[in-house]
Order: sequence, then structure tokens, then C-alpha cells
Amino acid sequence: MLLPDGLRDVLSPEATREASVVHGLIERFRASAFRRVDPPLVEFEDSLLDGVGAPTAPHTFRLMDPVSQRMMGLRADITVQVARIATSRLTRTPRPLRLCYAGPVLRVRGTQLRPERQITQAGCELIGADTPEADAELIEIAIDALSGVGAKDLSVDISLPTVVPSVFESLGLDKDTRRRARLALDRKDAHDVAALGGDAALRLGALLDACGPAERAMEKLLAIDLPPMAAAERDRLARVLELLDESAPGLVITVDPVEHRGFEYQTGLSFTLFSKGVRGELGRGGRYAAGAAGEPATGVTLYLDSVMRAVPMAEEVQTVYLPHGTSPAQGRALRDAGWCTMAGLSAEADVAAEARRLACTHIFDPMRGADPIPLDDA
Amino acid sequence: MTANEPLVLALPKGRILEEVRPILTDVGIQPELAFDDPKSRLLKFKTNIPNLSIIRVRSFDVATFVAFGAAHLGIAGNDVLMEFDYPEIYAPVDLSIGYCRIAVAEPKELGESDDPSRWSHIRVATKYPNITRKHFARRGVQAECIKLNGAMELAPGMGLCRRIVDLVSSGKTLKENGLVEVETIAEITSRLIVNRAALKTRSEEVSGWVDRFREVSRRAA
Repeated sequence: MLLPDGLRDVLSPEATREASVVHGLIERFRASAFRRVDPPLVEFEDSLLDGVGAPTAPHTFRLMDPVSQRMMGLRADITVQVARIATSRLTRTPRPLRLCYAGPVLRVRGTQLRPERQITQAGCELIGADTPEADAELIEIAIDALSGVGAKDLSVDISLPTVVPSVFESLGLDKDTRRRARLALDRKDAHDVAALGGDAALRLGALLDACGPAERAMEKLLAIDLPPMAAAERDRLARVLELLDESAPGLVITVDPVEHRGFEYQTGLSFTLFSKGVRGELGRGGRYAAGAAGEPATGVTLYLDSVMRAVPMAEEVQTVYLPHGTSPAQGRALRDAGWCTMAGLSAEADVAAEARRLACTHIFDPMRGADPIPLDDA
Repeated sequence: MTANEPLVLALPKGRILEEVRPILTDVGIQPELAFDDPKSRLLKFKTNIPNLSIIRVRSFDVATFVAFGAAHLGIAGNDVLMEFDYPEIYAPVDLSIGYCRIAVAEPKELGESDDPSRWSHIRVATKYPNITRKHFARRGVQAECIKLNGAMELAPGMGLCRRIVDLVSSGKTLKENGLVEVETIAEITSRLIVNRAALKTRSEEVSGWVDRFREVSRRAA
């Protein structure tokens, strides 16, 4: 049974594990009063691809709604839907508004690094607060949620996607120079940045040089003469670092003031979450403008495909075989004690062999009624 | 991959490797002896640095290994980087080696009679279909690419197509095959490349190597 490219059947134990990881993440979001919302898989394309949704347009599967005769899109991202809910159904709910979600998204094609076309996202959005406290809260919750489900060696890379454009503006660079500068910065190519010459080489070179561990990056950033808007972003970064130092001590933080890929629609401080040794990022987030009124918002989205590579595999499930005739009460007692029970549907001559055949680890003896017996000893 | 596994540096086989070798010495990397033995069939080499090993692969594969994080650092020409345009790769240092250019070439007699402004479609033999398509698309020409892995210069003479896009260093091979270079698409040098996640999660270690390579290439310049 061939499946289309980028789509697959997830079996146990992976499917079980992913469900429990999603549950763990959502529980952590809920513990900080992020209320769960569940938008539909499909909605009209004009609402799905509006505003923050615009970058997902090329990735969105579309279908015609035979009922309304309007074009619909299958979501390639959930953030845009949550932003829509916040700025339409929940306009009268007091701000700051905290919402969380989890569910599958679909995209037209995967990337070489992430070929999956269907992935599960889990995330939270904080709408109506434009403060560094909100930025720091989301980073801290994402890190805490990830460590809670067992992800190790986490780090966060903080970006300031509006700083470079504002420096471009203040330098009055023409379109072609901007394109060259952008390319060089995207590749972190110090040589090509220097080749821009003049003030551009100096300022952009200094920004590029500031990439790295947070403390050192902050020192270097402070030494750069930035236009007012960029300087405000730098101050925000300093405050976020201060707050994280308190709420997530020991977290590895790097700063990248020139990163821009993947943050094209972000309106301010953004971040990417990594786990050492896991390819690609576990998630990303940042500031955006929600809805037509451009309400200030920030959010984080975790990608379950890479999160699953960062968490330890599930332990083998201990399953007890209940021979035919075991009383329901005995089964219930075992399940209450945390066992997973598999009921025998017919009487078997060799109970142990049957239990083994069905990959159980223990059998239960209804006559003895005591603890389940490990199969190696039975 | 586990957290404490050694860093891997991917190097391209062939022509560039000779130029890379002295740079390795200058940054203080001493590969095991088999690395310099042309008869050795090893693909992975230990170095004098306990936490650093080297793999030797084809130049296109250097970029793939680094993009996927299987190697953390690598050396690749920007022809390869332009062809793949992986967002996972940073290219922080121009090593100023492996100078050449990627160019369009065609038979000498064709150039004399042809008027490029009338083109809407051309057929090109190349190892770089993406670069070629993008280059011609920019001026409104659709390039149909025939992917070849070597001996591009043969294609026009054999009637496969009339033009090629290929790396040119001296231009000697072109001339020997009756071709002339009509347009340079880009100047090529080799770059030190790093995997994005490796730079972020092993920041100190990886930027340490980036700084060393940068220092060495600056001194050489």
C-alpha cells in the first residue's frame, strides 16, 4: 500500500509516544493558563492566508467547497487560525489573551531536511501584550514544556528580524545592495559583508560579528551605533535576557541579530529552539501582528517530528495477559494499579505461550490473584 | 547523533583537496597518515584533535552532509552552495582557494550568428540545472537542462545540445573542444561551511573553528 510522498502511517509505540508528548506539552501550556482552542482543519482560503498566514500560501493545499463554491485551504500552520479566533470570536475576552493548540497541519511539499508533508504542531499564542515579559514567558514555557517531556540539551537562539531592515533604511541602501547584503548575512559570510564597503560593511559586519552566546552578543550589540528602532529592539533583548536569567537559569541562549529566514513576517523579537544533536529546529516563535487591526502578539510553535527526535523513546509497555475467565474486578484492580491488561478472549491450554504470542510481558493467575508473574519466570 | 559526539569536517575529493591541505595544517588539524595516502580506501579519518574527524566525499555531497547535520563543518565551492541553496548551511569564510567561474559556453561558430535577445527557450547541458534555470529565467528565457555529471564539453559537438553551463578555470578544455565562453554566471571560490543547528547548539566549539579558518585565510590574503 503505497502512500503519497511525505505521508506515513505512525504505528505503536511511536504513535502512543507522540500522543503522550503532545499531552505533556499541552498540560504545561494549560498550567500557565493558556486555554486550548481547536480550529478546523479546513477553512476558507481568504481567512487562512490573510496577514500572518500569507507566507503559508505556497504551502497550502486547496480544495473547492462544493457547497459554497468558494476556495478552501487545508491549514499549513495553526498560528494564523488562532490569531483569527483571537481577533474575531474573542475580541471581548480580556487581554492579554493566552491560547494554546495542538493538531496536524499539511503542506504541499516538505523540505529536503523535513520531507514530511503532514506534521503535528503544538503551540501557544499570547495576544494583546507587547512587553518583553510576554516574550520571555513564551520562551520559558516552551523550554519548560520540552524538558518536561524529556527533551535534553535544549538551547534557544534569539533573533531580531527587524534590526537589519531598520539599519538598511537608516543607511539608505538601494535595492540591489540590500539584496546582496541580505544574501551575505543569510550565509553569515563576513567576507561578502565586508565587500559591501563603507558604513554598510561596518554596521552590518558588526551585527554579524555579534552572533553567538548571549552574553558576548549583548556586549557587542551595545557597542554598535543603531538607529532608534533597532536600538529599542536591542533594549528589549537585554530585558528578555535578564528575565530568562531569572526564570530559566542555566538555559543555553545564543543571539543572532541577522537571522531572517523563516521570520519574514515576524514583527519583532523571535526565537528558534534547538536540541543539541537533533537536526533542524524543535520549534520557533516570535512577535507578529494579529488580525486586521494588527494587535501585538507573540507565539511559539513546536514541531512534533523533531521534538520526537529529541525525547527519549518510550519504555517498553508492561502488558499483563488476563486468561479467559479472569473476573472484571481483578482486571480493573490491575489497571488501577497502573498495569496495561490484555484480556484473553477464549480459554487457552497454554496460557504462557498465548501471552508470549501476543507480546505480553506478564501473566495473571486468577486463582493466586497476587501480582502478575513476569513471563520469563512463568 | 548524541550530544558529545565528535565534530565532523567534510572535505571534497579531488582538485580542491590539494589546496585545502595546507590550510588544514595552518589551522592545526593533522589528519591520520592514511589521509595523504592516495592508495588508502578509508573515507573517514581521525585527526590529532580528539574531538574532530574528517570525511572525504564528492564536492556536491559535502553540502548534503553538512545540510543534514551529518557533518558539522565542511569546505565547498559556492557553485555547490548556489545549486542547492540549503537554508541549513552558513558559509562564513571565503577561503580564497579553488578560484574558477561558472560560465555559459557554446560552439564558436554559433556565437557569431546567434542573437540572444530572440530566445524564449534554450537547451543546456550542465551539472548545475538549478543555477542554469535561475540564471536564464531572470532574463525571461526558459532553460531546458540536460543533467550531465562530467565531460560537458562533449555535448555540443555530439549534437546533445548547443550550449553548456560549467565550471571554467583556465578555459583550456573549452578551447580544445571548439567552445567559447560567452557569459560568466558567477565567480567561484571555496568556502568554509557550517551546519546551522551545530553553530547554534555547539556555539563555542564551532565558532572557534570558524575563527581559526578565518584567521588563516586572512593571513594568506
